[in-house]
Amino acid sequence: MKYNLQIDKETIPLEVSPVEGRNLAEVRAGEATHLVAYKAVSETHLHLLVDGRTVEAFVAKTEDGKHIFIGGQTFLVRDADRIPSSLSRSAAEELPGDITPPMPSVVVRILVAEGDRVESGQGLVVVSAMKMENTLVAPYKGLVKKINTRAEARVAPGDTLVEIEKEAPTDG
Amino acid sequence: MFKKILIANRSEIAVRIIRTCREMGIETVAVYSDADECALHVLEADEAVSLGPSEPSSSYLNINLIIQAAKSTGAEAIHPGYGFLAENPDFASAVEDAGLVFIGPPSRVIRDLGDKTKAREIMQSAGVDVIPGMLAGTEDIGTLCKEADGMGYPVLLKAVAGGGGKGMRIVEDPRGMKEVCASAMSEAEKAFGNGALYLEKFLKNTRHIEFQVLADQQGHVVHLFERECSIQRRHQKIVEETPSPGLSREIRRSMGKAALSAARASGYVNAGTVEFLLEPSGKFYFMEVNTRLQVEHPITEMTTGLDLVRHQIEIAAGNPLPFGQADITRRGHAIECRIYAEDPSEHFFPSPGPVLLYKEPEGPGIRVDGGIYEGFEVPVEYDPILGKLIVWAEDRKMAVSRMLRALRGYAILGVQTTIPFLVNVMESTPFEEGETYTHFIETHFADWSPENRESLLAGITYVIDDLARPLRASGTSEMADPPTPWETLGEWRL
Repeated sequence: MKYNLQIDKETIPLEVSPVEGRNLAEVRAGEATHLVAYKAVSETHLHLLVDGRTVEAFVAKTEDGKHIFIGGQTFLVRDADRIPSSLSRSAAEELPGDITPPMPSVVVRILVAEGDRVESGQGLVVVSAMKMENTLVAPYKGLVKKINTRAEARVAPGDTLVEIEKEAPTDG
Repeated sequence: MFKKILIANRSEIAVRIIRTCREMGIETVAVYSDADECALHVLEADEAVSLGPSEPSSSYLNINLIIQAAKSTGAEAIHPGYGFLAENPDFASAVEDAGLVFIGPPSRVIRDLGDKTKAREIMQSAGVDVIPGMLAGTEDIGTLCKEADGMGYPVLLKAVAGGGGKGMRIVEDPRGMKEVCASAMSEAEKAFGNGALYLEKFLKNTRHIEFQVLADQQGHVVHLFERECSIQRRHQKIVEETPSPGLSREIRRSMGKAALSAARASGYVNAGTVEFLLEPSGKFYFMEVNTRLQVEHPITEMTTGLDLVRHQIEIAAGNPLPFGQADITRRGHAIECRIYAEDPSEHFFPSPGPVLLYKEPEGPGIRVDGGIYEGFEVPVEYDPILGKLIVWAEDRKMAVSRMLRALRGYAILGVQTTIPFLVNVMESTPFEEGETYTHFIETHFADWSPENRESLLAGITYVIDDLARPLRASGTSEMADPPTPWETLGEWRL
């Protein structure tokens, strides 16, 4: 079976050939082939022997993909061929131009007004989550077209808090 | 001794206090907000009282509701933990006025020491050196700018009512000073209900060293040695250890003496922490007194063998300390790593959400003070601490190896945590060499991103999990008899 896996920002193609009747598989990654023996210890715990190296892996499967823990590192691994279109679209929509909180937050202060000219990197909105304040900044130089929030409003990722009309860079 | 204690806190620290109470045969009452209905401290306590809405001001900061809860359940004393109301003198005095015992210092002491400028005054008159700076706070930005110009940049902006790094900012030069003051003031106002700020000269290349003190109602004061807490992000500690790798025998002795003077000068009772900044020259300055149990108290417990919560309760009940300074010894080395629900590759941005998988590390010398469990939803309303991982070993080198083993076996999925970052800190040369200063993270780990990612193994795990899933369902998952070449590759038994 062939997979195209998304891990961090990479896509890794893998081909797995199970050995019939045994908990053993060959996994081909590029030029290399890895022999993997495995035991499912529990629903979330896999005990692997990868080319002779013992690996304890923990897996939690969600709609997002599989969350995997190996030796102090965590990964979100997705099957690129099976990513629902809504997910891949939202990833594509997360252009740096969107002024949206990275997590559910409360608006503390709004630092600009509609009609203001802002520089790239200038603070626009201060939001707070888990007792921590975070300033959302202008991704580029431009004109504040619209402010879609107010102080003390609860906001979530995807909400566009401030709309900015991008100004063409003036320097050659 | 008290028969029942209410714990006015949540999560890991509430759980930690409940554990000692249980060992002492004291019943416990937990309080909780709507977001914490199923939190671990609620599950572990003997009784639990709802405080209502999740917003901290309506629940964990609601003095009247908490005192009512103690009265209605028949609790005789209140332990405030750390954070929330722990250093709020109005809370302590309200508890005293209600005829209950506050497990901590008298409200007067909390008031004096909580006013950071007043505390500086007390220490100066007791002969303890304080960091050069203002002796009075202000909400006037103009005054702060003028003082900063006079003192010379860089300066450290601090909240008069400060704690936990809230309202604290380093300002390198006059540009932007006004905006920084405004933002720090708003943060302080929100965190403490008091926006007043003051300035200290910002000292470079310093270590954060603190001394744990215990003082009983009979006037005995002892210290339990130091903790070094130099590794901080956002002025909040993330790794602590004891002994400090940067303290000579003489400095340790004179700092211990200064800590005792500081405790005596303020009329201290119960457990407290005297914080100092240590310059490379060996000169040290008083910073502040934390009038409560510290997050990092377990490393002192591991090396001295003393249960600080037990002694807090004994002192609050009026019992004298059962030991003097000469009886207190310590052994080995302890390190604590704070496990936060934060993304260390995104400047430690909070990462709330459901805990999909949770497995604590085990084995010799490992202690986990945890506050969550698998299936728990980490709320967005509170501090992102999930728990604390503490190790003890014979010496520092062994303690570092033990911490690495423990971190690599601490599986948490669903929320991002500080674990991968802490692994890299423990592996780093500056940490190994004890080169730990308060700018450690900015110097060595600015814009950190995970190193040596085992992406291929994660990919292999993904595809093998697909293969193993149907087998697990039918209950026939057995490891393959390895084929011949395998047998030569190492020990492999089931």
